[in-house]
This record gives sequence, structure tokens and C-alpha cells, in this order.
Amino acid sequence: MRGWWVCRLPSTVCGRRVGDWGGGAGFGAPFFPVLAWVLAVTLACDPVPVVPSADERQNSEAARIEGDVVFSGTARGNVVLFLFDAARPPPPEGTGRPLSFAFIPGEKLFSAAMDDGSDAGPFTAHYAFSLVPEGKYLIRGFLDRDGCLPQVGCRDPDFIPWYGVTGEPSAGDVGGGAVDPLTREPRVIEIARGEDGRLRAATDVQVSFLEDASTTIPVDRPAFRVNGERALDLSQPASFFELVPAVIVERSITATAFLAQWVDDDHDGVPDDADHDGVPEFWPKVFVRKLADGPVPLLDENDLDHDGVIDPTGVDYPHADGTSDGLPDQVVLAAGLVPDAIALALTNMDGTPKMTPVPVPKLDLVVRPLALDARDPSAPVPLASVPPGRYAIVVVQLTGQTWRVPNELQPGFAGSAGLPAVESQAFFLEVKP
Amino acid sequence: MGGWFEATGVWGGRRWATTRPCAFRLRGGLGVVALGACLLASGPAFADARLEARRHFRAGMSLIGKGDYEAGIRELKAAYSTKPHPNVLFNIAHAYEDWGHLTDAIDWYQRYLAFDPPDAAAVQEAIARLEAKLIAAAPPSPPQPPPESPAPSAGTPAPALDPESLQRLTTLTERLEAAVAKAESLTSRRETASVVPSPSSQQATANEDVALDEDAADAPPYEEVLVTASRRTQSTLEAPYATTVITGEEIRLSGVTSLVELLRRVPGAEVMQLGIGSANVSFRGFNQRLANKVLVLIDGRTEYQDFLGLTLWSALPVGLDEIDRIEVIRGPGSALYGANAMLGVINIITRPPGTGPRGEFNATAGMGNRASGSFLASGGQNRLRYRASVAYDQGDKWSRDFADDRPDVQSTFPESSLGLRGVRGNFTATWQFSRELQLGASAGVNRLYTEVYPLGLLRNYAFDGLTAYAKSDLRAGPVKLKFFWNHLATTAGPQYEPRGEPSLLTHVQSNVFDLEALFSQELELLGPHQLIIGASGRLKHVVWDYLDGTHQELHAAAFVQDEWRILDPLRVVASWRIDRHPLLDSGKPGFAQSPRVSAVYIPFEGHALRASFATAFREPTYLESYTAVRIPIPGVNAASALTVGNTELRPERLIAYELGYRGERVSWGLEWDLALYQNEVKDLIVLSNLQPLPADQAYDPVSDTYLLGRSRFANEQGLYTARGVELGVRYSPVDRVDVRASTAVQRVTASGLPEGTACAPCTQAPTYKIQAGASWRSPAHFDFSVDAAYTSSTTWIEREPAATDPTRIENVSNPLPAYTVLNARVGYRLNENVEFAVAGTHLLDGHREHPFGNLIERRVFASVRVTP
Repeated sequence: MRGWWVCRLPSTVCGRRVGDWGGGAGFGAPFFPVLAWVLAVTLACDPVPVVPSADERQNSEAARIEGDVVFSGTARGNVVLFLFDAARPPPPEGTGRPLSFAFIPGEKLFSAAMDDGSDAGPFTAHYAFSLVPEGKYLIRGFLDRDGCLPQVGCRDPDFIPWYGVTGEPSAGDVGGGAVDPLTREPRVIEIARGEDGRLRAATDVQVSFLEDASTTIPVDRPAFRVNGERALDLSQPASFFELVPAVIVERSITATAFLAQWVDDDHDGVPDDADHDGVPEFWPKVFVRKLADGPVPLLDENDLDHDGVIDPTGVDYPHADGTSDGLPDQVVLAAGLVPDAIALALTNMDGTPKMTPVPVPKLDLVVRPLALDARDPSAPVPLASVPPGRYAIVVVQLTGQTWRVPNELQPGFAGSAGLPAVESQAFFLEVKP
Repeated sequence: MGGWFEATGVWGGRRWATTRPCAFRLRGGLGVVALGACLLASGPAFADARLEARRHFRAGMSLIGKGDYEAGIRELKAAYSTKPHPNVLFNIAHAYEDWGHLTDAIDWYQRYLAFDPPDAAAVQEAIARLEAKLIAAAPPSPPQPPPESPAPSAGTPAPALDPESLQRLTTLTERLEAAVAKAESLTSRRETASVVPSPSSQQATANEDVALDEDAADAPPYEEVLVTASRRTQSTLEAPYATTVITGEEIRLSGVTSLVELLRRVPGAEVMQLGIGSANVSFRGFNQRLANKVLVLIDGRTEYQDFLGLTLWSALPVGLDEIDRIEVIRGPGSALYGANAMLGVINIITRPPGTGPRGEFNATAGMGNRASGSFLASGGQNRLRYRASVAYDQGDKWSRDFADDRPDVQSTFPESSLGLRGVRGNFTATWQFSRELQLGASAGVNRLYTEVYPLGLLRNYAFDGLTAYAKSDLRAGPVKLKFFWNHLATTAGPQYEPRGEPSLLTHVQSNVFDLEALFSQELELLGPHQLIIGASGRLKHVVWDYLDGTHQELHAAAFVQDEWRILDPLRVVASWRIDRHPLLDSGKPGFAQSPRVSAVYIPFEGHALRASFATAFREPTYLESYTAVRIPIPGVNAASALTVGNTELRPERLIAYELGYRGERVSWGLEWDLALYQNEVKDLIVLSNLQPLPADQAYDPVSDTYLLGRSRFANEQGLYTARGVELGVRYSPVDRVDVRASTAVQRVTASGLPEGTACAPCTQAPTYKIQAGASWRSPAHFDFSVDAAYTSSTTWIEREPAATDPTRIENVSNPLPAYTVLNARVGYRLNENVEFAVAGTHLLDGHREHPFGNLIERRVFASVRVTP
């Protein structure tokens, strides 16, 4: 507060005996001892109590995560940081959605070097995640490239957090995150209580971006259109669909191929076959997820708040074994990609697996008339029947980029959101009652 | 010298009304209008003794009317002793004169002269004439009662007259009586036609602070008068609307430290304190954070902060000890005051310059780090009167929202416990050039730190800045000119902000210039008319970085009011005002009209029935018209919500119907007021729900955040109807005891709201409000006062980010339990110059008056008042 003088009542009045006040006043009035007592017991002795009001924020306890973003490279653009629950990492490791995000404008990060593409830095800028509750977290992010790159062409900043079709990195963007400075493994940041029981802020958490081929996103998001019948014929043992890359927005969403690669989580140079079905797993992955009924056509069923976590209340379907867990279900259809073409693309001429990413021109999706409750993804439970309704197709690329149809580009939604309306993006699978 | 009940009087046309002997009037003719005379109280008044004094006064006048001068004079002296009023001295003198006790008459006239009344010259001539009679009739024959001296001594006796002087005085007396006869002949018809005493023959009071003295001097002693309802002095019985007057004595006796605390005594008032420096006041519903439908005036100068649409109660530049009285009009006042006088008008009237003690010290200290002190000086010489004051005040919040050293939230301002601090100074002066010409000037400055609770997603804000004003009034016969300048410059921002999030700290500079001209005239056209015509212009200039730029608005208005005594005892008051606002026609200059018509019927003395129909409006504030502010989404650092203004807003409109009955039984010491009302409010301006923005507007380069959406100020579709009844009673059963009570019952309903829209005004208005209090001014120098106010439970619908997902903004219902406020004071009058007191506020359990407000807890203060 500028220009104010400090004028607090002197603390020396506290604790003085009543007789010290008013005695010797000489007026002889009985009122003075009362007055003195009031002065003695009331003056400036108690601190102002902290009493939260009904405001939700005042009744929550949180801390913060803050530190510096360090970028090394010649790419220029804004940096977007995402905060994830460590137990729910983002694709490709998981399906978590960000809890919060921070934004560092390029002008702030690069300052005068914003227009100087020859300066590789490093550049630093402060960031913060505020009001972070107790827990463990991951920080991921990317530089939203503003410029040209030979491999991908010229790019404009295109990140908009509010839509699925604009909320992910595209070709040329540079990925990064909070990593352990020694192991370079993703760092888990913990907001925990100290010895006094109070939450401690996590400060000096560095988020690193090192621009190189491994951190530069090579392709755009796997935007696609679907060739096939919308209505799912449950009488057939399987239904087939063709997912074709789509160019939707120039310099932003221009998928020309899907990026395929064998899964090699153990890094032994050999494709993994975790489910032991004789066919190694590969990227991309595909899911067919039931959508919520109602006026908003894009929300997943039982995730109406769109936080990626099943709502505490919702629709529960009977299981195939006649039981019911009484919990809202995450309904998916038994679906997968036909591996033949992808496996062929991922195989060298000599028959050995090709362990580097390979573009494939299309994906063949097969959907069986079987619904699963994937509330626990590691142990999906078959449902007694396929719930009628609308289903979305989701493709997850090995870069973590995802695309789903239907999405916000569908006519009727895109117009109000200021997005281009694309008829193909309104496609959904439909199971009729 | 005219007789008691004859139509004519002598001194300046004063006379005792034929049908109401207790009435005291001052007419034109030779009457020298008394600027400040009636309020030149000689000593400190320690209690609200108006009712008590009035009872004695009326009893005395009644006895005098019956010829019992001795008992009547005794009653008048008792009235004066209870509450000094110089006109009572005049009446005592007059009674002695008519009784034939010329020596006493001279003595009491001289006491009257001690107050330096404007008609001093005429009174001195009368004294000379009486002395001449005494000499002529020497030795004096009437028996002289023993002298009594409840009042201060008044000057020295006149010297004996020589024959030459006696001849001169005789001539003068003859000329004087001839002039009186002529004056009375001009006014006698109106005089006799009037049943109810009224000062209507006086010039209207456009400049309440300056002209009030004059008009109040004309009012009957101890009658409750007000100037706000019709912009002229009138008794509360005559007022066409529900009114409440809180006198300075009541204020002193209450012991409260905040003005809004006093307003709980007003039937139907909704007082909502969120912090010691932050309060909102409304009438008959529609209270809210940033309450914006009540116009608050200080001596006729608006305290409504146009840029934000609220009254900064803690920023008012006057202290409680400077207030003469507070007049409250419960009901629309746009017909006279224009915009924002929608649900009521609160006119704070300060002590007239030159009245009261020459000097006064006040000091208070107590719980909550409360410390305040003030010094007031008042005086004058010749025709110049002045009043000056300086004051300091500070106090801690009742409670804090967050502790220090939290890892997530920080205090934006260094003294996070401080709720209020201010230092202010005021100076007011008036110069009476002549009876017809008077100039007043005043100025003040208030350096303050206080807090405000804004609306929407925003929480408590600190204000650290300065307010200032300058005002001048010129009265020239029937014309009054008023000019004022209001200034505010402050740094403001949330008291607490999440660490790491963009700050909302801002700076505001507001300047308002206002010029008003008023003309009043009496007419005769099928009965007497009191016509008031006015015009005004106001220039507003606001620089505020919450707005989309610097804006300046020019407003203009014209109004007319006619009070027509169509047929005794019925009178009709019709008002009409048109306001020109630069945005009212879909963003272009447009007009708002505010008609009002009322009827007052006074079938018997002390009983008044009234009915009124009125309209009023509230203009969009700068905030509502021009805002462009990005409000950070808590916990999502790169997201914010855009709040924007709307230049095409329609004004909020009110149509009000009211029936009322005001009565008094002076002999019982009883007054009451009953009001039934229906208020219909439409086009309420609210902040819309957050609407998503197009993708190409999602990124905001101003704040470097992504906009979650946009809230825009808009007119609501619904019609809100508030119906209620209010009853207020004041009772002074015996001397030294005052009892007051009031209750209000109301219900707010809505129609035409979009489906699924909650009716916030319906649930936020308390259904029941009850207030009761009593004061006892004991003979043993002690004063006791206690007041309790009960407010029934409410539910507040407020906008909050969802707990699980702060990017989802929800309207959350927050129940607020009923609460009772108990305030009390014990005062000890050591002598006429020194008074000590202990006062407690909110003496019951802690409570909140808004879900987001402080937890209000007991505070006890000690104070001393010295008038050397």
C-alpha cells in the first residue's frame, strides 16, 4: 500500500491490569473503571481469525508448481504446458486428460530472438500451475511452432485448448516435459505435506524442451474420415470400416497417412506380443466408445464433465454373466485394426520387423457385435448386449496424437465454434435398439 | 402586537395558527428567513428527545391557547430544556408578552437574540418597544414570575431611553405595525385556508444543505421534517412516500461505528455487511454484491459511484459525528433525482455550518484494532458560517479468507488484516449576502483503504485511493444553482489471488461534474400550487483499465413537480422528469422518462393517508456498458473468462405502487407509519452465463490466455414483482425513554424468465425483517441504548467455478441462515462538555450477511466526546 503510514494500536495495552487504566482519573465516576476495563480487554490483542466463507476456493487446500521452461533449439512459437495426474498419463502411455495448462508466449520466452531463427538458446521463462491439490503430477508440453520446417512445411500456431481437434500438437511442434535431470525420465512432481502438516509448493521444477528429431512431431494429428455404413449390423460377426487420412485445415490438420510402428515397450528391438495372440501389437490403436445420449453429441457416456474419468453416477449395463457392479460403465465395442496391411508395411523385405515408424495410407477397422465395460482397462467385462446408441471411433497415434470421429468439426457444432464444418467428421457408428 | 389566535402576528409574520395552536410558522412579509437560526443549538444534546420535547411543546401551546399562560410557559420551558430550540425561546417571550409580563418577555426575547437569529433587528426593535411601554407604564403593574434560566444568558438589558429615543421608537413601532398589517393582508387568505402547517410558502429547497436551515427554521419546533421527498422542506406527515428520518442525536446515542448499521432501523431496509468497510444497502429486495438501486446523497450531492454502480459506504467523506440527520425515502425517486434512485433515496444531511458546538473532539478505540478520532469546528462571523472537520479511522476485518504464507494464495495488499483505514477532511462555508442571496461552498478529501465485494467470479477487492469533492450552492430568490465535482482515484484489486495467476490489480480514475438549476414558485390556480422546475447536466469521465478504453458521457435532465392543494385536506403531487443518456437508444443517445403522481389525504390532525404511483430507472454503469476484463480461471493459469460490457443495454425499469398511512399521537409520544407496496422491476441488468467464443477469438493477446468464453451484461427477460408491507413505530411513553420498532414482510416473484433460469432476487430477498430498540436517558448522567435487528434466511445464487473442473462456471446456491444483529451503548455524561461511552456491535453469535462475507463477530468500543 503506497503512501500509508503504519498506525496500529500499541501492543503494550494488551495484558495490562484493569487497575492500570482509569485509576487516578480523578473524576470519581464509577464509569471509568468500566471504560478502562473495556479498553484493556479489547484493544488490539487478538489477530483477525481466518474463517473461510462459502466460497469453494476458500475451503480448498492447494499448493502450486512453478519453475522455468528451458527451450533449446531454433524453433519459435508459444509453449503450452499441461499438468497431468501421474496416475493418468496422457497418450500414448495412457488416456489421461490435462488437469490444467499454462501458456508461455513466444515473445516472453524468446524475447528479442523471437525473429532470429539462428539462435538456439537456451531460452528460459517462468511458468506456474496454481491451486494444485495434494497429489502426484506430470508436466508435458510442446512448442506450438510458428514458422517453417522443411519436413512439414510452414505452420501457424494452432493450439486451442477448448476443442479436441485443436488441443494437440501438430507436425513440426516440439515436445518436452518435466524430466529427471539425470535419467531424463519423466519426473513425477509431488505436492505433499511438510512436517507441519501444511502443503508444500513444488518450486524450481524445470520443464525442458530440446529440439531434435526425436522431440519434433513428425506428422499431423491422425485426422480421418470413415468409409462404411453408419448402422452397425449386429447380426454379422464383424463389420468393417475404412479409415482414410483427411486434410482438414491447411498448415494445421493435414493428415496424409497414419504413422504405424511395432510396439516395443521393453526396447529389445523385437515387437511385443503382450496378449500372446501370436500377433505383435502395433501403433496406431483404435477404440470405439459409446457416446452419451442427449443434446450434446460429443460427450462420452458416463463422462459428462469431460474430464476423462468415469462419472460417479451414470448408466450401468448388465454384464454378460448376468451380474452388475452397480457402477457406471465405460462402454466400448470389441474393435481393432485389421493387421495385415500394417504388418506388411512394418516388415522388411527380408521378413524382419521394421522397427521405425512407417506411414500407412489407411486403416481397416473391424468391429465385432460385442460390448465391453472398460471401466478397468486391464480387465474389460463383456456386457450382456450391445447398448443401443451412438459410438465414436478414436485413433491414437504413437506420438500420442489422437483423433476421434465424430468431433467438433461436424456441421451444426463447427459453425458456432468458429471451426470449419466438415461433413465427414459427423460420422458415428449407430447401434439401433 | 396581535393577539394569540388572531390571524396576524408581529414578528416577521410569526403567528399561532388558528386551528392548530401548537403550530409555529414563519411567513413572508417581514419575516427574515433564518439561515441556521433554528439549529443553533447552544449545548450538546445527548439524546433523541424530539418526541419528548414535542409533547411538552404542544402541551404548552395548548395551555397557552386556553389562556393558562403560567402552565403553558412551564411546558415550553420543559420542552426547551429537553431539546433546545431557539424558536421556543421566541414563543416563550411571546407568551410572556401576551400575558403582560413585559420584563420577562424582554428577557426571553434577549435570550432568543443570543442565538443571533437573522430577524434579530426586528426583535431588537420589539424589545425597544416593550421597554418603551414599560417606561410609559412605570412602575410595571403585572406581577413578575420568578426568573428561570434553563437557557444560556442572553445579552445585556437595554439602557433606559430618553424622550427623544422614545419618540423615535414609537414612530418606528407605528411603521412596523403598518408594514405588518400590509404583509398580513397579502397572505391572510392563504393562511386561513391552510389547515396543516406547512413551510410551503418558503422557497423550495434545491440545495438541501444550504436551504435546509432556512426552511427548518420555518418548521414547527420538534416536528420531524425532511427535504428529500419533494425537494423542499415538509413534515413527514405531508410526505407522499414512506420516509424515515434518523437524527444526529439518534446516531450519537446508537454508538455504532458505521452508517449502514443505522439503516437497519429503516423499515424494509436490507443491510448487508460483507466486511467492516464493505456494505450493500437496498430497499424492498434486490440487494446484491454491488447493490446499485439506491441513490445515496450527501447534502444533495450524489455518492453513487457511476463507474461501478455502487455506494462506497466507507468512502463517504463525512463521519457520523458530522451528520445532522439522515432522510430515507423508501421508494422510487427518479422523478426528482433521475437515474439510480430506483428503490430509494438516502440523503445524508450534515450539520449546517455555524451550528452546534464551536469545537468537538471524538475518539473511539476498541476491539478489532479499531481506532478513530475526529475534530470538528464550527462557527461564523457576521454572515459567514463555516464548519470544518478532520478525522481518522481504522479497523481490522472481522475475519480473513486466507491465512498468510499459504502455498497457493497470497495477499495482494500488504496489510491483509486491515479492513478499513481513512483520513479525511471537510470544509463547508456559507455566506448570506442578503435575504435573497446566499452562497455556499464545500470541499473534502478522503484518503482511504477499504474493501468492496464485486460481482460474478470476483471476490473481495481492496481499494487504496482517494476521493474528493467540491461543491457550491447559490440561492438567489426562487432560483438555486448547484455545482459539484466528485473525484475518485484508486488502486484496486483482489485482496487475495492465487500465486502464479495473472493479477487483476487495476487503477481507476473517475471525475463527475454536475450542474443543476432549480426554480420554485407558488401559484394560484384552482388552489395553491408549489411548482418546482429543474434542469441538470452531468459529465462523467472515467479512466479504468477494466474498460475497453476511456469513456466520457454527458447526461442531461429536466424535471418539473407541482404540489397542488386541490382541496383541503387533499393534496396531489405530480412529478415528471426526462433524462437524456448517451446510450439509451440502442447505444445512441436516448431518453428515459420518470413520471410520478401521489396523493396525500390528511383527514384529521396527525393522520395522513397517501397513495402513489411512480416509475424509476437505473442507468447502465460504466462497468455494464464498457467493461472488457479478463478474469483468470482459478487453477487454470492459461485460461480466463472475458467479461464485456454492452452499450445497447436498456435501463432497468421500476413501476411502483404504494399505499401508506402515517400517524402520530403526540400526547402519547407515539408515531407510526404503515406502507404497502408493489414494485415491478423489468430489464434487470445481469451478467450472462459464459458463452463460448469462436475459435479464432479463443486466444487473447491482451492477457496471453485462452478465453474460456464471454459473459456479457444483458437485460433479463423476466419481470420481477416485489410485494410487501412495512410497519414502523416510535414511542416515547415517558420522558427520557424512546422505543422504536419496525417490521417488514415481502415476497419477490418472477415471471417470464427463460426455462431453467433461477430467480436469484426471489431467494435473496429476506421474507421477514424485524427491528426493535430502546433508549433511556437516565437523570443520573447515563444513557442506555439497545437495538436488535432480525433478518430471515435467504439463499444466494452466486457464480463459481466448479470444484472439480474450474473451467466449468456454475450458478451455486448458497444458503444463508437467519441472523440477528444486536447493538448496545452505555454513555456517561460527565458534564455538558464531556461524555464517555462504551458501545458494542454484533453482540450475539457470529454470523454472515452474505455467504461470501466476513464472519461478523462482537466488537466493543470505548469512546469519548469532548465539546470544550
